[in-house]
Amino acid sequence: MTGSRKAAWIIGAIVAFDLLFLALPTLVVLVASFTPGTIITFPPPGFSLRWYGNLLQARDFADALWRSLQVGLVCTALSLPAGTLAALALARFRLRFATGLQIYLLLPFTIPLVVSGVGLMLVFGRLGWLGAVWPVGVAACVINLPFMIWAVAASVNHLDPDLENAAANCGAPPVHSFFTVTLPAVAPGILTGALIMFILAINEFLVSLMLTDARTVTLPVLVYNAIRSIITPDLAAVSVVYVILAVAAIWLLDRLVGLDIFLKSKQG
Amino acid sequence: MASTIHDKGAGRPVGLRLLDLLEAARELLWPARMAPLTPWLFLLPAVLLTGLLAAGLIPLLDASLRPLDRATFRLAEDYALGNYATLATRPVYGVIALRTLMAGLIVTAATLALAFPYAWMMVRTQHAWLRKLLLVSLFLPFFIGQVVRAYGWLIILGKQGLLNALLDGLGLPPSSLAFTYTAVLIGLVQYMLPFAVLMLAPALTAVPVEVELASASLGARPFATFRHILLPMARPGIVAAGIVVFTLTLTDFAMPEIMGGGGNDFIASAVYDAFFQLGDAGLGAALGIGLTLVGSAVVGVILAFFGLGTLGYVEGREERS
Repeated sequence: MTGSRKAAWIIGAIVAFDLLFLALPTLVVLVASFTPGTIITFPPPGFSLRWYGNLLQARDFADALWRSLQVGLVCTALSLPAGTLAALALARFRLRFATGLQIYLLLPFTIPLVVSGVGLMLVFGRLGWLGAVWPVGVAACVINLPFMIWAVAASVNHLDPDLENAAANCGAPPVHSFFTVTLPAVAPGILTGALIMFILAINEFLVSLMLTDARTVTLPVLVYNAIRSIITPDLAAVSVVYVILAVAAIWLLDRLVGLDIFLKSKQG
Repeated sequence: MASTIHDKGAGRPVGLRLLDLLEAARELLWPARMAPLTPWLFLLPAVLLTGLLAAGLIPLLDASLRPLDRATFRLAEDYALGNYATLATRPVYGVIALRTLMAGLIVTAATLALAFPYAWMMVRTQHAWLRKLLLVSLFLPFFIGQVVRAYGWLIILGKQGLLNALLDGLGLPPSSLAFTYTAVLIGLVQYMLPFAVLMLAPALTAVPVEVELASASLGARPFATFRHILLPMARPGIVAAGIVVFTLTLTDFAMPEIMGGGGNDFIASAVYDAFFQLGDAGLGAALGIGLTLVGSAVVGVILAFFGLGTLGYVEGREERS
């Protein structure tokens, strides 16, 4: 009995440490954003919203945020059909070369991001795509696509193949059964994947660093450049924008599909 | 048209009429005899998008085989292995590679050790509020980018940061963790923790709680249950989490760049610097190709040991059907 008491204590202690460890950077950024002075000190000498006021004045941050949101939209709009259809094809059909295909579609995860970034820069350069914002969205989609395929493939387990057969048997032609039977069944996976793709895209940094210039810089790249020069509280205020977006995304995810979806066993 | 859904009258809902229209378009563009090819049509967008990435490897492979001509500052016309020779002989790259590999091992071990109890509690707890707290605490940093989190760590570990304020309050000497290897490792473990937990949790869900209870009721101590029941049964998840954390650490750029203060570069920083600071695309490409090969080899070896299903998309289905 004492053994399990001790084990419970150890597990509890590690989890408590994890919780603090996970939350600490976010909490510190939140506190720092209300600093009244020009440097960040602890404990904070007071409370002020001046850095938020500054943020509203600073056009470069607002522009970069808007560009990051565009990147997120382009990425999500591309991933939705590409990831959903690929996941359905991989999970529903016994394909020839299925193993080879899976390895190929996992390339975004096996190729290091820095290599992907340089490679995409070269390819986009040849296609004449550099200097615009939307190609950054394409790049964000390419490098994160396996997440979308994974999310949808996980949902395919809940789709009984007999449902589609039944639909066909009742006379539903392919497009009808796709939109009224297949898609609704995998909708939780699609929603989850779309949200994750959007969040990953607005946070994408390394590949964007290579694909953007001063006119197309996205928010993470701008923050990175600013950190490298001097650490001021205005960056904390910018970071809070990300905290708010993250909270909104988690709330949406919980409302739409429930966070518990990530606890489900793959064995269904 | 081929539609056989009944009731074609005026009472047919707009949604269904729209579908009829799509069906007609499909009939025209993708007639029924093409049906066997439908899965390949479904795969096409993803294959093309990933193709952009594959296409990027070709000029990189090409450049890696062309050493920089120091006289003209252009890449040589003829293929040679000079860039790879440079990597093998210049000690600085050995140091960087070793530093990166060490980080990969330390971060993977630390992350798995911290993630396993977290995932276990998340899966096993009877309290809905605790599960929700653990899930939200996991997703919040996961959804906040690496740059912002690195910035948060700099505020914590910096000279006038939170840590030193706490140490000062306790009457202890200040630490100087910011811009050290340790700082990079701390940042990386925190970055990887959500990935690891999210890969472990489904694997632990697959272990029936009854097996754990049975083990305990037969007199196994908690550690024995962990060692002989949980560890083997959750192995696919542990291996997958380990692979993901190790390769992500091996190829990370932002953490060493931001938290390392310039003296703790990883391989990815060396690739970036070769391209954008040294202006030696050939050397950078060779480094990048080398990093890709090392990363893929690690994944390949581990998967060869544990099976491709570990990272596969359709693991569950294969086993069920």
